[in-house]
Amino acid sequence: MSLTIEGAVRLGEFELDIAVRAEPGEVVAVLGPNGAGKTTALRVAAGLLSLDSGRVQIGEDVLDAPGVYVPPQQRRVGVVFQDHRLFPHLRVVDNVAFGLRSRGVRAAPARAAAREWLARVGLADLAGRRPAQLSGGQAQRVALARALASQPAALLLDEPLAALDVQTRAEIQGELRQHLADYDGPTLLVTHDPIEALLLASRIVVLEGGRVAQEGTAAQIAGFPRTPYVARLVGVNLYTGTALHGVVELDGGGVLVASDVIDGRVLVALRPSAFTVHTELPAHSSARNVWACRVTSLAPLGDRIRLTAQGDQSVLVDLTPLAVAELELAPGRDVWLAAKATDVTAYPSP
Amino acid sequence: MTRSRARARRAAGTGAPLLAIPPALIGVAFLLLPTLALLVRTRWSDLRQIYSSREVWPALRLSLESSIEATIISLILGVPLAWMLARVRAPGMGVVRAIVTIPLVLPPVIGGVALFQAFGRNGLLGHPIHSVFGQDLPFTYPAIVVAQAFVAMPFLVITVEGAFRISDQDVEEAAATLGASRTRIFTHVTIPLVLPAIVAGSVLCWARALGEFGATLLFGGNVTGITQTLPTDVLTVFQTHPEDAPALSLPLMAVALIVLVALRDKWLRSAASS
Repeated sequence: MSLTIEGAVRLGEFELDIAVRAEPGEVVAVLGPNGAGKTTALRVAAGLLSLDSGRVQIGEDVLDAPGVYVPPQQRRVGVVFQDHRLFPHLRVVDNVAFGLRSRGVRAAPARAAAREWLARVGLADLAGRRPAQLSGGQAQRVALARALASQPAALLLDEPLAALDVQTRAEIQGELRQHLADYDGPTLLVTHDPIEALLLASRIVVLEGGRVAQEGTAAQIAGFPRTPYVARLVGVNLYTGTALHGVVELDGGGVLVASDVIDGRVLVALRPSAFTVHTELPAHSSARNVWACRVTSLAPLGDRIRLTAQGDQSVLVDLTPLAVAELELAPGRDVWLAAKATDVTAYPSP
Repeated sequence: MTRSRARARRAAGTGAPLLAIPPALIGVAFLLLPTLALLVRTRWSDLRQIYSSREVWPALRLSLESSIEATIISLILGVPLAWMLARVRAPGMGVVRAIVTIPLVLPPVIGGVALFQAFGRNGLLGHPIHSVFGQDLPFTYPAIVVAQAFVAMPFLVITVEGAFRISDQDVEEAAATLGASRTRIFTHVTIPLVLPAIVAGSVLCWARALGEFGATLLFGGNVTGITQTLPTDVLTVFQTHPEDAPALSLPLMAVALIVLVALRDKWLRSAASS
């Protein structure tokens, strides 16, 4: 059964207008900056918030539509909250059994099922503890077991790794990937972390300001970013402009020659590693694009140096430390940036 | 050494002014002296004889029973009321909160008069009850319980309301997504989370009910073995044999002390800090 959320809800000044669909066994990430409406979307799916218009559906079951509102109790969705929200007064095993107990399963079989789920997340020996005695990673595992134990029709994860430290996050990420692969219902994963979306989801919906900015596989989004936010996320230079026979007049000034022959309003993407940097105007170069810029900052990025430069446009460039040293690059230095037309990706603006 | 010197230096510079110390000490003495006098003036050797001749045991038993029943009534009515005050967003909640605090600010003896106007033979509710059932509430054992509950319940309501107000509603949402009905959420999540406050509030409520005097005397009367609680018994004894009154005060003092010591660490503090 697939999960469909399609509609709008207004919260004060903010309006979320979203269309997301997750197929059985599919993990769809809702990716976006803080305040984009990610959690609101998840609350709509869980039934903690009702839509003003539109509908929420699991399979053929309409959960939210004009005149219809099924409360969270009857939706059979499993939710893993960012702050885990375990019941502090219940033992771990009773936390996991809570969903089954609430749906009328007797104590003994509910506990047995809970212990099984605890074993699956590797916490069989912590069944008798209280949540306060768990580490962050353990609590998040228990929260996942609790959500899955009542065999939900859909799984909703709200920033499940955000509250964890880096080391634990890496561990849980791998486990979570496995558990999500084992789960055969639709999963909605809300996150602000592109790596998390990339690792855990097969499809990504980018949410910005309450609207779906872009949707697709990780490759589609990384290759053809639609908004400055997505471009920043995937680390590419993104410009808007008007193309005529492959020559793009950029908004704000400057020209780029692309290998794609395309006309009309376009987006142009360039990887930071596509540029070469010159301290003099390059003569006899094969690069079709040369921009005069001034270096504004240099910062280490992995084994590279990321340089930002400002000309008609703002540009990110990745260089080796050796190149930076040889060219004596520093903030304030005037440089020429060159890029081949084949490294320029131009595609129609939405 | 360094530390004590530092402390001394601080005391000279920014400590309390010396002028504050004598009134502070007088304050302590003022609070301690009456309790001390009570202990000093009790006729310890005649304790057994005083207790049997002054009807202490029936009165103490009545006090314990009625105060426990008043506390149970307060729990049954007061916890949902506290929840409503903390969680229900509706116009008029401010008025409801003010109503809850009426018995707190009303002199208990006026409370007794008020209870009469409500539940007495000619009272607003007492009159119809009398004409239908032929029963009167005043000067009966139930009247004692009603008077104590009226005066003591606000202590419970206010303590528990504060806890409901700050308790974590996020886990209630989590419970809802796990299929728990509203009732189940209330009984299995909300209430356990505020349990320390419920215990603390019950103790305050019970202590207030146990010591209740004014409303009890007016509304319940002072009939030995039927409506005479320990506090009203103390009044009777004080009027006839004042030298025996200190001995009669001991059981109430002992109960107060036990409650204070037993619950101080575990419940009262955690409720105060949560």
